[in-house]
Amino acid sequence: MTGPVDVQIGKPPEEGDGQRRIGVFICHCGGNISDYVDVAAVRDALKDEPGVVVAETTMFACSDGTQHDMIDQIREQGLDGLVVASCSPKLHQITFRGVSKRADLNPYAYTQVNIREQDSWAHGDDPDGATQKAINLVRAGIGRTRNSEPLVPLVVETTPATMVVGAGIAGMRAAIGLADTGLQVYLVEREPEVGGWAGRFGAMFPNDRSGREQIAALTEQVSRRSSITVLTGAQLVGKSGSFGNYEAVVEVAGDPPETIRATVGSIIIATGFDSYEPENGEFGYGIDGVLTLPEFKELVDAAGGGTLVHLGRPVRSIAYVYCVGSRQPGGNEYCSKFCCAATAHASILVSALDPQIRQFHLNRGVRTYGKYELMYTQARENGAVYMTYPDDTPPSVEQGRDGRLAVTTTDTLTGGREVTIPADLVVLVTGMVPRANTGLTDLLKLPVGDDGFYNEIHPKLRPVETVVDGVMVAGSCQGPKTATESVASGMAAVAQSAAILKKGVAELDPLVATVHVDDCTGCGECLTTCPYDAISTRDAGGRTVAEVSAAVCKGCGGCVPLCPTAALDLLGYTDAQMTAMIDSLVEVPVS
Amino acid sequence: MSSMVDVDLLADMKKFGAVDVSACFSCGNCTAICPLADNDATFPRRVIRLAQVGLKDDLLASKELWTCYHCGLCSDSCPTDADPGEFMATARRYAIASYDRTRLARVLFTSTLGGTIIAIAVAAFFATFMYGMREPVEGSTLALFEFVPYPVIHWLGIAVMGLMAVAGLAGVATMVVRISRHEGVTFRSLLGGKAQLGRAWKAAWSSVAVESLGQRRYREDCKDDAPVEPWYRRRWFIHAMTIWGFLGLLAATTINYALDIVGVKATGTPVPIWYPTRLLGTVAGLMLMYGVTWFMINRATKYNRAAMTSKPSDWLLLILLFLTGLTGFVIEVALYVPDAPTWGYWFFLLHVAVAMELMLLLPFTKFAHAIYRPVALFFYSLAGERTRTPELV
Repeated sequence: MTGPVDVQIGKPPEEGDGQRRIGVFICHCGGNISDYVDVAAVRDALKDEPGVVVAETTMFACSDGTQHDMIDQIREQGLDGLVVASCSPKLHQITFRGVSKRADLNPYAYTQVNIREQDSWAHGDDPDGATQKAINLVRAGIGRTRNSEPLVPLVVETTPATMVVGAGIAGMRAAIGLADTGLQVYLVEREPEVGGWAGRFGAMFPNDRSGREQIAALTEQVSRRSSITVLTGAQLVGKSGSFGNYEAVVEVAGDPPETIRATVGSIIIATGFDSYEPENGEFGYGIDGVLTLPEFKELVDAAGGGTLVHLGRPVRSIAYVYCVGSRQPGGNEYCSKFCCAATAHASILVSALDPQIRQFHLNRGVRTYGKYELMYTQARENGAVYMTYPDDTPPSVEQGRDGRLAVTTTDTLTGGREVTIPADLVVLVTGMVPRANTGLTDLLKLPVGDDGFYNEIHPKLRPVETVVDGVMVAGSCQGPKTATESVASGMAAVAQSAAILKKGVAELDPLVATVHVDDCTGCGECLTTCPYDAISTRDAGGRTVAEVSAAVCKGCGGCVPLCPTAALDLLGYTDAQMTAMIDSLVEVPVS
Repeated sequence: MSSMVDVDLLADMKKFGAVDVSACFSCGNCTAICPLADNDATFPRRVIRLAQVGLKDDLLASKELWTCYHCGLCSDSCPTDADPGEFMATARRYAIASYDRTRLARVLFTSTLGGTIIAIAVAAFFATFMYGMREPVEGSTLALFEFVPYPVIHWLGIAVMGLMAVAGLAGVATMVVRISRHEGVTFRSLLGGKAQLGRAWKAAWSSVAVESLGQRRYREDCKDDAPVEPWYRRRWFIHAMTIWGFLGLLAATTINYALDIVGVKATGTPVPIWYPTRLLGTVAGLMLMYGVTWFMINRATKYNRAAMTSKPSDWLLLILLFLTGLTGFVIEVALYVPDAPTWGYWFFLLHVAVAMELMLLLPFTKFAHAIYRPVALFFYSLAGERTRTPELV
């Protein structure tokens, strides 16, 4: 545990002649920039700017050779500021911050100026204008670096504990993994029982092991680890503190309800999915014998004795209607991706039960990706007929006078013929929808995508982290996943949690808001604006002043313009820096 | 119009052949390689799809089913070993059984035991019946038509042909109605005017003369059987010899009958070998035996794709044809043996009984393709003519 953390601001460089020593590198980017921007003219226009000691053009600033050259120049010329005019900071800001670090230059004295995406690529029709714009942009960048202050990352001590919200297959497996890394674990489950969806099912793909048995095995493993605290009938209702040291409040149902508080370093959200619930009448939903995929799976799991019986009648034919609630324009547009494989698997189970049952799979293209293709093949070879219907001609389900269901569809492979299939069961292959978790979403300020699932920071490179530091998402709360994939992402969240908590300390970006205590009047205006509750007040020699918790602050800058006395500054983007940039960009300097 | 799926179709069809069309994923390699799948024809793929889905009515209204000569290229190129060629053969068996309302064909195709019992029982019935009607014979030459009196054979033959015709025509009528409905062929589009009649005539000529007798597409398009055979072992040649041999024998018999009626030559009168109808019969018999023998060798040795799978129904037709031909030649030999050997009479009895059975069972066995295929080819050719003359109804 740590107390309040202060931003450590280094001293400004020695004033000497009052001038900074800045190196400016202007990149050709092959020809991406230099084909439209006269980079030599840019260099010539800026080489005499105040504080500029080195001004060079380079073919590829990001190349290994140039990076070495920059380091040499920084050292030899004693540079205290670096400006690289090249591509978007998204691409290479980290690269050149790294260059600065290696040359013992404070990385926050570095400014990346984007003269490619925001200049050469955008103004290919106007080279002169592009060159002038580049000069202005680079001059602004020099202005920012000239006014930079050295910053160092915040270091916070972390609590070696993680809270896992959701005890489905992903959450349970993650809890075990976390415990095995030596972390304390709180496993919080809203339902009275752990296990989630998997706990309801019999044989699951791909290895045909029963979901119930797998959950039982996980439950047993959880119970053997004393470092895991399982809270069922429990919900996360409060969260305060900051990354590394969250205070979580859990309410456990009961009479009276019990409130449990826990300090955790990170939180893994594994709240899973809801199965799409069709509208009444959607593909005949509501008629006896029209089931959703989970309802059907439970029917198959419960069946025995070589037959499948529904409502007392033996089932002789089944029609599956795919993509119900998925891939629907104007509805859930995403593909739920597990359902084709799950249905192929259910189809195989049905064939094993009674090979005489005819099964018709009315699909919009089968997506049994990867190894699941083998299940698709097996289902077909067992006699299942896959019939693709055109997107604009969905099947219709009706009940005949004899009570039997009739599914009418268009079969592309029969030359687009409309055919009617008599069916005893119609299975609506329903996809995954985001679970209704408004309370949790609001509490943790979790980012939600257009589809309603939680968003990670980066689908490839930061697949389980969210923009809320220390809060991770795993499993199908993040988007449709198979159980296999859910567990894998749960384990990724374990690795990420361990990576940040096992060190005992965490480094935070120092680009946060700061209070100039002398200027602060304690009016409290800023307190109301912070979306992260990072600002509080404190007593400073008898005066009430604002205080920013650097560990909580995200550096959004929302509070800065609201301060009536300009007592707030965003480090790395201080008023002095911004003013200098604006001055560089306009003809008449702002006084 | 929505077609009703018959969920039991595939299970029912499986009784007619050991093919596993579930393996088929409609890739269409079979259609691509089929030398007969021209223009927008999509067989065998489409026909397999009909069976998979259970579109029984469409399947039984399929003229494409009967264009196939089972060269086996599709089965060789099938990536899932669904054996489309054998499926087509199975579907034809199923169609024959479906066009027949007596269910006799169904038993003959689906039950080895039942089929064998029926095959033996029918021959035994004819033999017993004729034996019961026999007259005492004497003399140094075989008096076959005195042993089994000519009127007995004559009237029994007429009865057999009559029954066969009724059953055959009923089957053909069922088939014609189904295909016509499916293809939108009406009386008007066939006979509505001179142009329509001309079109129908062209189709009939192509179906009967060019394709059935001339074996044009079998000869020209389905020639890619692998390995490439010498001409005398080509499947089309063997098939043609069988057809021509059978038709030659039928012609010889019919002409003999006509000669009897006009009083030129009474049936049973000994004639020299060069006598035209006897010569025709002998040559035709040799051709039939040639074809049938090769077919049997092919099936026994699984010589090619078509002979890879043999159902009892395949053997039944070959055996009946073979026995008819063989006993015929044995009788020819017996006629030259001095002192009228008794076995000559027995072979005669067997010959007539098997020939009667062959004709009686024609609509119920694989032999039925001899009537269904030309009808289907007529519609196939007509469809082509209709595309060329869209302005006619």
